[in-house]
Amino acid sequence: MKRRLFLKCLGCGAATAAAVQTDLWPEVVGGLQNACAFGYTSELSEVEARYYEKLPEGGIECRLCPRHCRITDLERGYCGVRENRGDTYYTLVYGKPCAVNVDPIEKKPLFHFHPGTTAFSLATAGCNSNCKFCQNWDISQSRPEQTDNLDLPPEEIVAICKNRGVPTIAYTYSEPIIFYEYMYDTAARARREGIKSAMITGGYIEKKPLRDAFAVLDAIKVDLKSISNEFYKNYVDGELQPVLNALVEIKKAGVWLEIVNLVIPTLNDSDDDLRRLALWVKANLGDDVPVHFTRFHPQYLLENLPPTPPETLERAYQIGRAEGLKYVYLGNLPGHPAESTRCPKCGKILIERQGYRISRNLLKGNHCPECQTEIPGIF
Amino acid sequence: MSKVIVIRGPSLPKGEKPDGGRYRLLLTTALENLFEVKRAGDAVKRLFDRGAVGMKTNCIARRNNSTPVALVEALGDVLEESGIEANDIVIWERTNRELEAAGFKLNASNFGRRCLGTDSKGFGYGRKLYSSGNVSSLISNILTDLINYNINVTVLKDHSLAGLSGGLKNMYGAIHNPNKYHDDNCDPFAAHVNNLEPIRARNRLTIIDAHRVQFHGGPGYDSRFLQPYGGLIISNDPVAADRVALEILEKVRRKNGKPSLAESGRPVKYLASAEKIGLGTATMEKIALNILEVQAGGRVSRGGEL
Repeated sequence: MKRRLFLKCLGCGAATAAAVQTDLWPEVVGGLQNACAFGYTSELSEVEARYYEKLPEGGIECRLCPRHCRITDLERGYCGVRENRGDTYYTLVYGKPCAVNVDPIEKKPLFHFHPGTTAFSLATAGCNSNCKFCQNWDISQSRPEQTDNLDLPPEEIVAICKNRGVPTIAYTYSEPIIFYEYMYDTAARARREGIKSAMITGGYIEKKPLRDAFAVLDAIKVDLKSISNEFYKNYVDGELQPVLNALVEIKKAGVWLEIVNLVIPTLNDSDDDLRRLALWVKANLGDDVPVHFTRFHPQYLLENLPPTPPETLERAYQIGRAEGLKYVYLGNLPGHPAESTRCPKCGKILIERQGYRISRNLLKGNHCPECQTEIPGIF
Repeated sequence: MSKVIVIRGPSLPKGEKPDGGRYRLLLTTALENLFEVKRAGDAVKRLFDRGAVGMKTNCIARRNNSTPVALVEALGDVLEESGIEANDIVIWERTNRELEAAGFKLNASNFGRRCLGTDSKGFGYGRKLYSSGNVSSLISNILTDLINYNINVTVLKDHSLAGLSGGLKNMYGAIHNPNKYHDDNCDPFAAHVNNLEPIRARNRLTIIDAHRVQFHGGPGYDSRFLQPYGGLIISNDPVAADRVALEILEKVRRKNGKPSLAESGRPVKYLASAEKIGLGTATMEKIALNILEVQAGGRVSRGGEL
């Protein structure tokens, strides 16, 4: 495909966040040109969904996420991307991403997973939550007809990554659970080619599909949006407990796990909220799971709130550390010292970060060069 | 007091669908009675000043049980005869695919009645989020930019989650994220969707086709659960129209041995929510119900039961 046509494709996608980061352009442009050879498409997929049951009285029940949507003919689930057609349930977004980008892995954020590398990042329309603070709501709260979608099958993604040396595929931006089949097949194919896969998720998923996904995923980042079920009810349109269950499952399975907590002024930023979250993580997942407290910016339905003051995040950092978490980070505060990885034993800076960029990486394998302490992660 | 017209025509032979002539007769008679005017054109003039008039259809069930083309054409004729330019009449739905599957012929040109989906080139959904209660949505540019008024032209159906699919539920087709608003039997979401400012400001008339009532298994088509009823429900109060539609749906369900919607776990709670926020009347005692029967010769009799 000629560059002109490719740029035209990107232009179509700009409205739906399908923009390529310009500083990474030379690294990936060739591959994406190939991707774009498939072109934007108005066609949705019709691939049978996994994890649903046909109901005896007609209709189906989706078993992918804890919502268990019951859906009659021609209706869709809460996510907006799965449709009952004659009591067969279909995913409409298989191979139809609306956002494709190459990001630093730190942007996910994953700080203990191949730091300093890039991830081919993709998303389809749709989400099984409705967070009032969503930063990608224009795609996550849309149906696939409303976004400009590429026709990008799993094999093409893997080929691009392989040809261009992109080591990881990240399923991100919206909510990969709702494009589970596409994610799973891409990750399975990627694994055969030595390419890693990272799921960036809210963790609102049923046990069975989550366990099945462990076979093809290398890392999972979960947004633990609050430790309060009231918060989940009021600001996420979901429930806390299934997310906690998923976190425990992931940790037990040994898939690399990191957690993000977006700290929102007045909603989940009290000492008590932060402390309970830190204590829960330590008690249920251990003290070596990285926890990122990140800064909120007014978005979507919470434009009335101010950005999180840096002091609030620093308070979150202090609480996390005081409760015994070894790897606490602050996010969306470029240049803050708490972006960097320190040895929990001797305090030496091991990976120094400036925003998403690594300025120094002193790790020796998985160890602190100073005191030999082992640092958990995949480095 | 809100007024609702239920108008039925002569029985149709089994399997025969109502034609444009029948719809026209029922529409004009209903409009004359609803607004107590001598000619339907006077009712149209009372409803619409200058500008374009949309007709929001319901086409999810394809040709089987969607807003009938014959009804929309008859209504378009009535509007045109009342002085509305053909190109100012806009038949619309979520997608072109759905309109075509229901038998409509697309027309996005500047000639003749327009017929288009929100996914038509140049339309889509606006960038401004509108909110009411727990509902926050982008709205079809057809509604916000192309039309000044809207007629909600839908069909009476059972709905697997909402209980009732009538006029209020049909406006889910005007927002970009209807899938977010089906929990708890669509309550209070169906009320709040209709309370979004552009929708509330434009909706002027609700017309619910009840010639065949799908009393179970909706909103998709299921031929096992269809019952002829033979008429239309018309009101300028969207909540009252749905309230009467609910009475009819429950009656048809009873007649066919089905439990009430509440007993089936699908209570239609959103009507009370709609009344509470001032969208209209959900209390039968406060609704002036006019039941009209059009005889084969065209004579109209009043009274009778739903």
